[in-house]
Amino acid sequence: MMLSDGDWLALWVGVKLAVVTTLILLLVCTPLAWWLARRRLPGQALLEALLALPLVLPPSVLGFYLLIGLGPNGPGGWLAQWGGVRSLAFSFTGLVIGSLVYSLPFVLQPLKSAFAAIETRQLDMAAVSGARPMDRFFSLVIPQARHGYASAVILGIAHTLGEFGVVLMIGGSLAGETRVASVALYEHVEAGDYASAHRLAAVLLVASVLMLWALFRWQRKQQSTGVMP
Amino acid sequence: MSLTFSLSGQVGPCRLQAQAQLAANGVTVLFGPSGSGKSTLLRMLAGLQDCDGEIRFGDQLWQTDDATLPPWQRPLGMMFQEPTLFRHLSVRGNLDYVVKRRGAAGDLDSVVSQTRIEGLLGRSVQTLSGGEAQRVALARALLAGPELLLLDEPLSALDHGHKQELLKMISDIARQVPVIYVTHDLDELLTLSRQVWLMEQGRIVARGKAHEELARLDGPLAQRGDATALLYGELGDYDNRDHLQAVTVAQQTFWLPAAQPVAGEQPVRLRIAARDVSLCRQAPQDSSILNIHPVQVAALREVGPGQAVVQLALGDQRLLARISSRSARELEVFPGTRLYAQVKAVALG
Repeated sequence: MMLSDGDWLALWVGVKLAVVTTLILLLVCTPLAWWLARRRLPGQALLEALLALPLVLPPSVLGFYLLIGLGPNGPGGWLAQWGGVRSLAFSFTGLVIGSLVYSLPFVLQPLKSAFAAIETRQLDMAAVSGARPMDRFFSLVIPQARHGYASAVILGIAHTLGEFGVVLMIGGSLAGETRVASVALYEHVEAGDYASAHRLAAVLLVASVLMLWALFRWQRKQQSTGVMP
Repeated sequence: MSLTFSLSGQVGPCRLQAQAQLAANGVTVLFGPSGSGKSTLLRMLAGLQDCDGEIRFGDQLWQTDDATLPPWQRPLGMMFQEPTLFRHLSVRGNLDYVVKRRGAAGDLDSVVSQTRIEGLLGRSVQTLSGGEAQRVALARALLAGPELLLLDEPLSALDHGHKQELLKMISDIARQVPVIYVTHDLDELLTLSRQVWLMEQGRIVARGKAHEELARLDGPLAQRGDATALLYGELGDYDNRDHLQAVTVAQQTFWLPAAQPVAGEQPVRLRIAARDVSLCRQAPQDSSILNIHPVQVAALREVGPGQAVVQLALGDQRLLARISSRSARELEVFPGTRLYAQVKAVALG
């Protein structure tokens, strides 16, 4: 595949963004999903609605608010000054923050369903078998929710890689910093360079198919070996 | 080790309030209809269900007004109605899970052979039959090195053969470890129990020796259609020609059909269902019934339209007979009346 150095760089930034975002989301969403799946508390429906908002909101709306929020006059500005820069907008860190919001439901939902499917009896039995709560979480909940984790990882990475509207608003397409593959593709089309656009689009298409194929194949294999439904 | 508790708690619409004391080894059956709070009480004892009150086990305080020992620190083994094997682990993995946390590894081989799961260790838990899965669950409960076993209707989903096999295992285990066994199945109560706690609507309404509670006419057990008396007797001669085993109860000889001489611990237990006992004024002659014994009426109670149950004294033991109210009237059955009991069927065990 004859991609230009600039396109390779854009792909690399996108992959880095996707991996960093997904890792952070796994850490954040694990306790959050557990809490949402296993507890019933007042205000939970509203919280779940807010967390699911990125699923339905136009990405440009999200991007616009993030731009304001991350800019020098928003809360992100104070954070930036604390870190020694003027603004988080148009930076890789800003992009990570935007992606965290944008991709959160794609990591949260599979974890939540997986946690909700774990039988309370299994946890009770682990407790009377001598397992403390944290021990139960690592020795029982995570292994039994591994389907959910696989889906969360694949969906988190794939969705972040495909991000466009939010990146366009807050990224600014700085090569090596905030220009990701989807934005690079858009710029090729804008510039009338359809050959480059074709190549980059094909890479993104094949990568997406491969990831989903790997996920579904793994899930089928788990079912047929009967390790876990 | 003795267990003493006094607990109360609200679970959904039901209020549970129970206190009791459990001493030494053997099975105590917690018996009562569905929804009477048996499982909830067991979960409270295990620390899986919040409640108020106090639980003391030997010199350990499991629960007081201001502190609760969490379930993972109580020296318990537990079985639920469903085997509840850890589904992401193999059979071996399920056993190791407990061994690793409770550290009774030395017992692994003996527990595995005691529960006859040698051939199952490498299997995935998804491929086990119901009986196999419950045997693995029993092994896992034993590997916790429990000082008390809490068994919550563990056999209710099994067929008769597997049930008998596991009941035998549990009886054997109860020689070393006290067992609280929840069930609503009278057959399991008869097989297992020396002690019984009767539960109704969230309360323990009676506690006592199984054979006494079974025969108490003001208790719930004697009023059931399948009411059964338990008698204790000594093994006597074996009649080789007719394949009958003699068992002596209060100087009376009962004959039981047996393909070969019965051996085993003394005293043996006889089960006699109330509906297999009929009463006569005079000793019947030329009857096909082998076991006809003189008895004295101890008490009588109407238990339904036209039905009565009679408690009969045989020495210091008690037999039940379920007869029609008309027969009771015509035979003039009153406390103190001397009658003959014709016992149509007797079972050992």
